[in-house]
Amino acid sequence: MSELALLLNQSVNALSQAALLFFLGVGLTLIFGIMRIINFAHGTLYMLGAFVGYSIVHATGSFWVALVLAPVVVGVLGLLFELFILRRLYQREAHAFLMVTFGLALVTGEAIRLIWGSDALQVPAPPALSGVIFLLDEPFPVYRLFLASSGIVVAIAIWQILERTRLGLLIRATSQNAEMVHALGVDVNLVRSGVFGIGCGLAALGGVLAAPLVTASHGMAATAVIDAFVIVIIGGMGSFLGSLIGAVLVAFVQVFGNYYYPDLALAFMYLVMLTVLIVRPGGLLGKEA
Amino acid sequence: MRPATVLGVLAIAALLVAPLVLPVFAMTLLTELVILGLFAMSLDLMVGYTRLISFGHVAAYGLGAYASGFFLLNTEMPLIVAVLAAAAMTGVLAIGIGWICTLATGVSFSMLTLAFAQLLYAIAFKWTSVTGGSDGLAGIPRRPGPFGFDLFSSKTGFYFLALGCLLGSYLLCRALVNSPFGAVLRGIRENEAKTLSLGYNTRLYKIAVVAVAYAFGALAGALYSPFAGFANTELLFWLLSGQVLIMVIVGGSGTLIGPILGAAFFMLLEHQLSSYTEAWALFFGLVFIAFVLFAPEGIWGLARSWFGRSQPAETKATGNPS
Repeated sequence: MSELALLLNQSVNALSQAALLFFLGVGLTLIFGIMRIINFAHGTLYMLGAFVGYSIVHATGSFWVALVLAPVVVGVLGLLFELFILRRLYQREAHAFLMVTFGLALVTGEAIRLIWGSDALQVPAPPALSGVIFLLDEPFPVYRLFLASSGIVVAIAIWQILERTRLGLLIRATSQNAEMVHALGVDVNLVRSGVFGIGCGLAALGGVLAAPLVTASHGMAATAVIDAFVIVIIGGMGSFLGSLIGAVLVAFVQVFGNYYYPDLALAFMYLVMLTVLIVRPGGLLGKEA
Repeated sequence: MRPATVLGVLAIAALLVAPLVLPVFAMTLLTELVILGLFAMSLDLMVGYTRLISFGHVAAYGLGAYASGFFLLNTEMPLIVAVLAAAAMTGVLAIGIGWICTLATGVSFSMLTLAFAQLLYAIAFKWTSVTGGSDGLAGIPRRPGPFGFDLFSSKTGFYFLALGCLLGSYLLCRALVNSPFGAVLRGIRENEAKTLSLGYNTRLYKIAVVAVAYAFGALAGALYSPFAGFANTELLFWLLSGQVLIMVIVGGSGTLIGPILGAAFFMLLEHQLSSYTEAWALFFGLVFIAFVLFAPEGIWGLARSWFGRSQPAETKATGNPS
């Protein structure tokens, strides 16, 4: 394999990984921006997305239906959690959210085990996306190319929603000054519920998309939540662009680190994060903490 | 004597006679509980008294566990020396960790502590020659000595060592939080800017409390590895950081005693639930959510209101050192 093709191949891997990490990170950062809470259950909801996706694929036979429905299901569950539990806690300290979302992670993780069992489950990629295509005489898995492009599409969509729509305006305004938005007659609680639901849905979207690549398994949650934290910390809590940059950076460090220095790859990611935090404690694009 | 003192004396007496009445498996559980209680209490110095929310307190626990395991496997150090050396070493290392982490405040501080813990986790995984990699360190002995003193090598003896460490640490921590140093820590918790403007170098105080908390946390870890006979990467896994933070909060932060009760509650609940049902984590999670919603002051707060002493946690903690 030529040097260039190798580089290209690894870059596609990294970009597809970046897409998955971005779906995780962007939800976490949006939730933090609006609600100032760290959602410990984010990784578990990502995992839930993969399992729900598995069931939908088996019930309907279509990966595409799962891709649309699973995030909706998980998003609605997130919305209900916000409505009935988180909403009671806005006057309390950050502790409370940490514990409640940790509790949610435990409950959801165990519920998944009860419903789907302990085994890893295979989710086949749709026929149109399995197989490889040849570029520069080198094979590239179609599914990874699909992941990378879906990441780009979703990133552009979220960016446009945040910048161009009324919903985006409300989200940005609420993250800057919730009280003022409330005083202007907007139901801030509705914005919060909505963003929490959307964030959970995005995590689940990542989970469904990851499933054909890594199978739906119980190990997913722990890795996912920690990766999501790292991305958001590097990018800056609450920053959309930051989560995008963080996801790409982390994915490239993971993929290339694993290829060239497999022993050190795990440590690299945390070293990058430490360096960023030491230079800019609020993250690359975050406000000074 | 105040009722609290009487209760305290009774609790200590009960802990001292426990080995005479409890079966072996219960003693194993109790020893682990004492160790976890010490771990949770050490975090309370940061969380409860200084409002430094650490997401990475496993760093202390894991460092202590690996260090004492390494000393016991590779040197001739007696058990008690290895345990204390591991705690002291971690305390010194933590000055550096504290120096870097206190560059940030708030959520960023939490995340930096998490980053350090994860870095150590990654190192423990890969530095096989020292840490044993994914297998960890196994067969850690409880070496007797010094001077032929071998009480601590037996199961019961080890329990007394752990209990002694917990009580000694509790007294030291209580003295610390009631000292002028502790008053500055509470000043930082309530209003750091104000404390700074009063002329205290708050960053130095924060670094100091991180070092002390890590040393006590490492003491717990250093006890755990000879207790279990092994040290592995589980002891550095971030989930444990989350759990210990929850022990502190469920027990009642800023009280020292509360986190010990929190650790006991956490362990006993896990133990009980896992013997009744496979799906214990489900109920476990529900109990936590219920705690946040209905008992925000934690177990210690609940206990205090039952005893009709409804003053806020502050008063007790700041209170008269009588």
